[in-house]
Amino acid sequence: MEFKDYYKILGVERDATQDDIKKAYRQLARKFHPDINKEAGAEAKFKEIGEAYEALGDPEKRAAYDQLGKDWKGGQEFRPPPNWDAGFEYSGKPGGADFSDFFSSIFGSARAERAGRTGRAHTTFHMRGEDHHATIVIDLHDALNGATRTITLRMPELDDDGHVLVRDKNLTVQIPKGVTEGQSIRLKGQGSPGMGDAPAGDLYLEIRFKPDSLYRVDGKNLYLDLPVAPWEAALGASVKMPTPLGPIMIKVPPGSANGRELRVRGRGIPASPPGDLYAVLKIVWPPATDEKARKIYEEMAKELAFDPRAGLGV
Amino acid sequence: MTDETTGAIPAETIGTDPVYSLDELSTACGVETAWVVELVEHGIIEPHGRSVSEWRFSRLSVVRLAKAKRFERDLGINPAGIALVLDLLNEIDRLKARLNVKDPRAMSPGHASEHPDLS
Repeated sequence: MEFKDYYKILGVERDATQDDIKKAYRQLARKFHPDINKEAGAEAKFKEIGEAYEALGDPEKRAAYDQLGKDWKGGQEFRPPPNWDAGFEYSGKPGGADFSDFFSSIFGSARAERAGRTGRAHTTFHMRGEDHHATIVIDLHDALNGATRTITLRMPELDDDGHVLVRDKNLTVQIPKGVTEGQSIRLKGQGSPGMGDAPAGDLYLEIRFKPDSLYRVDGKNLYLDLPVAPWEAALGASVKMPTPLGPIMIKVPPGSANGRELRVRGRGIPASPPGDLYAVLKIVWPPATDEKARKIYEEMAKELAFDPRAGLGV
Repeated sequence: MTDETTGAIPAETIGTDPVYSLDELSTACGVETAWVVELVEHGIIEPHGRSVSEWRFSRLSVVRLAKAKRFERDLGINPAGIALVLDLLNEIDRLKARLNVKDPRAMSPGHASEHPDLS
């Protein structure tokens, strides 16, 4: 098992005050909260911060942790010395069910207290199971066509003796066609089991998209950068562009400026009603590297009365 | 329950159809009704119906309430703060969506931790 340097995780010195520790925790928690920070790895980081604070935020636990000595380095192979924690008693709440093995090895796991609590539940007690909430990251393609994806969730479960165990649960999910970023889908009965005769809770998955190489997504609408030559933008043209349903020809109106958005109705995400696809014009200039191109640029410079800085007042 | 050909569990997109009363929503989410009323007063969740006894909540409310609960539990934010955070996150999502997502600097997972003062 790896040693965890909780001081380093919170970015504080070993002699930090409890207030410093609380402040550091709050700052990091705001920054890495998975509902705020959508970068990959934010959730794991948030859990690590929570575990570090669970250990250091409580003076009793912190004293026990400090007892291990300051020579340990994060990631180092760790085995707790026998009876090392004799004399410490934790009056606080049990830790979260999915803290690391390292945390459980020095502070004990949440088992004992939870087992006691569920043990009191009478068999005739009926209560609907808890709903679970998680996030699923899919390709834009999956939303456009619908898809089957297998996800792994870490779920606390009760074993036969009433102990809380964290198990990896694999679920194969049919993702409906037309879901959008930020929308949630519901898997009926996939939350916690109910007590007595009551039904299980539901599992809600919030949809997030992986960045796509072609399209940007805003709700149901898609945006595509469409490169055009200056003469196509100036004179108008019919150009070929990709859409999720296959390539189409699109008319670029004469006199189009850079950044002009052209709407292709109904070619966005196939929700009901479907979103639109916007082509955002990006005017691309041919390089003046050969003689022929340079000649044309020189001619334009000479023949056209064009001042791109007319609006700057200089 | 499962699709026989693929073994996959069908998922339904959740909508704004009314499904829960105030009591049912509170029980389903394991929170006090008074806290739900506060969320409604701040516009974080929006029930159908005019009076409290007529209120009916959608599954979208379930999801938003769960998120609000996480903000309160993890960051100690009150309903007014949660409403503001949700609005700002919405705005950031919209702005990010319009930017070019292929920018490697913006997407690098290590970026934020290398420059902690920039955020």
